[in-house]
Amino acid sequence: MSENKVTLESKLTVVSSRPVKSGKTHKLSGVDHAMGYHTLHLIFYYKNEEKWFGSFELDPLRESLSEVLSIYPTVTGRLAREKEEDGGDWEVRCNDAGVRVIKANVDCTIDEWLSSSAFGFDETQLIAWDDMPHDTSTWSPFRIQILQIYHFNSTIPLDNSVVFTHHRIRTNQINKQFQEGGLAIGLSCSHMLSDLTFASSFLKSWSQTHRHYPISHPPFFNPITPNNINNVPNSSSKPQTIITSSTNNIVTATFKFPSSIIKQCLSKIQNTTCSNATPFDFLSALFWTRVTHLKPSKVHNQNHSLSICRDFRKLVKPSLPIGYFGNALHFSNLSIKVQDMENGQLEDMANLIHKHLKEVTEEEIRSSIESFETRKESTPKCMYGSELTCVYMEEEESASLLYESMFSNSEKPAHVSCRIGNVDSEGLIMVMPSSEGGFARTVIVMLQEEELGKLCNDQEILKLEPTIILAGCLVQH
Amino acid sequence: MPPILPDFSSSVKLKYVKLGYQYLVNHIITLTLIPIMIGVTIELIRLGPNEILNLWNSLNLNLVQILCSSFLVIFIATVYFMSKPRTIYLVDYACFKPPVTCRVPFATFMEHSRLILKDNPKSVEFQMRILERSGLGEETCLPPSIHYIPPKPTMESARGEAELVIFSAMDSLFEKTGLKPKDIDILIVNCSLFSPTPSLSAMVINKYKLRSNIKSFNLSGMGCSAGLISIDLARDLLQVHPNSNAVVVSTEIITPNYYQGKERAMLLPNCLFRMGGAAIMLSNRTTEKRRSKYRLVHVVRTHKGGDDKAYKCVYEEEDREGKVGISLQKDLMAIAGEALKSNITTMGPLVLPASEQLLFLITLIGRKIFNPKWKPYIPDFKQAFEHFCIHAGGRAVIDELQKNLQLSTEHVEASRMTLHRFGNTSSSSLWYELNYIESKGRMKKGDRVWQIAFGSGFKCNSAVWKCNRSIKTPIDGPWADCIDRYPVHIPEIVKL
Repeated sequence: MSENKVTLESKLTVVSSRPVKSGKTHKLSGVDHAMGYHTLHLIFYYKNEEKWFGSFELDPLRESLSEVLSIYPTVTGRLAREKEEDGGDWEVRCNDAGVRVIKANVDCTIDEWLSSSAFGFDETQLIAWDDMPHDTSTWSPFRIQILQIYHFNSTIPLDNSVVFTHHRIRTNQINKQFQEGGLAIGLSCSHMLSDLTFASSFLKSWSQTHRHYPISHPPFFNPITPNNINNVPNSSSKPQTIITSSTNNIVTATFKFPSSIIKQCLSKIQNTTCSNATPFDFLSALFWTRVTHLKPSKVHNQNHSLSICRDFRKLVKPSLPIGYFGNALHFSNLSIKVQDMENGQLEDMANLIHKHLKEVTEEEIRSSIESFETRKESTPKCMYGSELTCVYMEEEESASLLYESMFSNSEKPAHVSCRIGNVDSEGLIMVMPSSEGGFARTVIVMLQEEELGKLCNDQEILKLEPTIILAGCLVQH
Repeated sequence: MPPILPDFSSSVKLKYVKLGYQYLVNHIITLTLIPIMIGVTIELIRLGPNEILNLWNSLNLNLVQILCSSFLVIFIATVYFMSKPRTIYLVDYACFKPPVTCRVPFATFMEHSRLILKDNPKSVEFQMRILERSGLGEETCLPPSIHYIPPKPTMESARGEAELVIFSAMDSLFEKTGLKPKDIDILIVNCSLFSPTPSLSAMVINKYKLRSNIKSFNLSGMGCSAGLISIDLARDLLQVHPNSNAVVVSTEIITPNYYQGKERAMLLPNCLFRMGGAAIMLSNRTTEKRRSKYRLVHVVRTHKGGDDKAYKCVYEEEDREGKVGISLQKDLMAIAGEALKSNITTMGPLVLPASEQLLFLITLIGRKIFNPKWKPYIPDFKQAFEHFCIHAGGRAVIDELQKNLQLSTEHVEASRMTLHRFGNTSSSSLWYELNYIESKGRMKKGDRVWQIAFGSGFKCNSAVWKCNRSIKTPIDGPWADCIDRYPVHIPEIVKL
């Protein structure tokens, strides 16, 4: 595949700047327990290096991270099981242990990494993740990767430049001249503790703290439901760890669709079937049909189903704030008969998805939360990918969450990438905002390798002129 | 040491007798002079002005006699002033406040310990027990290179730590005193375990572009009591060089000495030593008298290195795997007690009021002549000093000294709270403690402070300062943001 361009430099622990009062614990909800099979990885790419790092790790990034961790005591805590008498469920002990931060160097330019010819620039190299061990007391459930992206250009003469931080400390001589620097900040965590919204709000809070702005989405730790559901402790012994290994050959590809094309397609749909169609409706319909096309064909009277995962923070009353710590995800199933999909148009599919999304009620959400609560003790199963799953992020807010996390002087991330660990073979489609803004969307698809290879060459998709980047498979044009 | 007087000391009446006795003996000169002066005045009044004038004329003083006697007076006065040792003033001092990113909570320390020593659970257990009983808090700091897993103690990072600590303290000192770098005549830097070439004092001279005829000294290897040794050296130098400023920098650089092995006796310092440093400005210029905070009264140094056990009780050596660490013997406390006794034997006569010395003398004579079974009298040092700064070497040291000197909780509060907030910062801990007392607004003009430090070798050094002007709160320093939270109750064992 590709040469290993990532070199691990060091691993350290960053603690909050203010101590946490001892003895606090945060119980995880039923939904959290259910998501325990997966891991979540977010990577933010920034082009302009500026003065990210001084010597001696007293760099501004680490200081702002310490500062922001003071208000997120659960992020610096450790997972543990409650005592058997209390139910034996997972909880986070806020013991002030800190988050692991891993520094690494990547030997290529950021443009190369994010360009369409980047075969084999597999993002998995950028993610340094340790699976949850048996003894979780020394395992950091949140990990931050800081990857310095640089390219050593041998034609530029060597220069012994000396860099000063605001403490006026001399560094070790930096003997290389770097060109077109960049930075990738990755946040990985166990899905049991956080969903995409919370992880991105944490990173946004970090970036706001770094620029000394007030935090727009402070964390919210109260549980979704009051603890009135009596959990009868299960007499059978509880599984101590989550089974995490996955033998499927799942790879990822990212499709960036430009705003103009999406707008065109949307207007077509809006004029025909669904007047309020959103880019999500269109793109999910498109990918659903094309992915289903690639799968082994089914008998006529069977159904194709799509599992849609959405954030229910705003759908319950009282609504949960964005900073709600934990998983606020609702999975709903949409089925369509095989012949309907074959005979129907894209516009009808989009309409179907749109109606499905609009029709979800609060009672449905509450009942699914409760069913998760009662199922807390059982082993978590795969939520993403046992059926084709599509992740829906609320349009305007997610764009602001992801693309307004600016660390230095109004420089927005060049790209934000999201991956889920342990996705099952049916696959995962994530429709996310794009750096371009407007109607542009980034669709991240995780599928088995051959299927993804075929998808990347699918004419229906290529008609829309996407830029395909970070593909873990061969892309031929 | 058990209480000295027989047990009727609980009686209230005895308290007044004691107070009366102390007042009597301490002010004996005043008390004898006053009646004499009253007698003379009454006599003079009785004689009347004419009689006094006749008395004066009958003295028959001629010019030569008057001149000789005045010359004599002037001569004696000159000899007195010339041979008087110069007064050494402590103008001001600054302590290093570690950055919050270097904070090491217990959980992080234990986690790193478990990850690095995963094959030695007994050593990890040992560290946890030490940490639980150490008296440290959750805000002590270790240098950045120790936060890595595994720690990365390179020479570069050690220099970086030295630069960070020393330059921050010195910048703060310059700001507080308005001292210009070119006005520094004497520079003494003490750092026990890190001694690069060029020395740390050369590093300071290079950074601040100090004068080429500066008298610089770098003391290394002298342990946690090196701070007071540097003060002593500065004092001696300031006796020789008139009109000079001296800057003393006390610190301990942790990066190169973080023990990486698994021997338990050597893991102990890892649990207790933390980042810290202080810069102190001393002067013998009379112009500094008005704004100085303290005046140096005594420095007493005691060295027990002649005794083999004392010599070996804090010993740097290689363990079985060749990793270098400092091993602390189990009899450390006993040796510290012995060294302290020697020190206060010398210190006692210099500082104790006459009442205490008299009692001690009487008990001593009594023991020698009458009955050797009399318990030796331990003088009450609380009468000689208002404040005590005991080196925050560890909880055991402070407990031991509190017992030996019979100090109250308030007297040792500064030491305990410094241990809690900053850990054992070695030679600079005395200055953090002094700063604590000042931040609490307890330092008034005329207060006497006793700084006691112990160090490897085995040494016990003391310094006595007298406060020159009342220090008003709030003051700028490492305690500025947290002084309101102190004092805290430190439990015997913290549950980890």
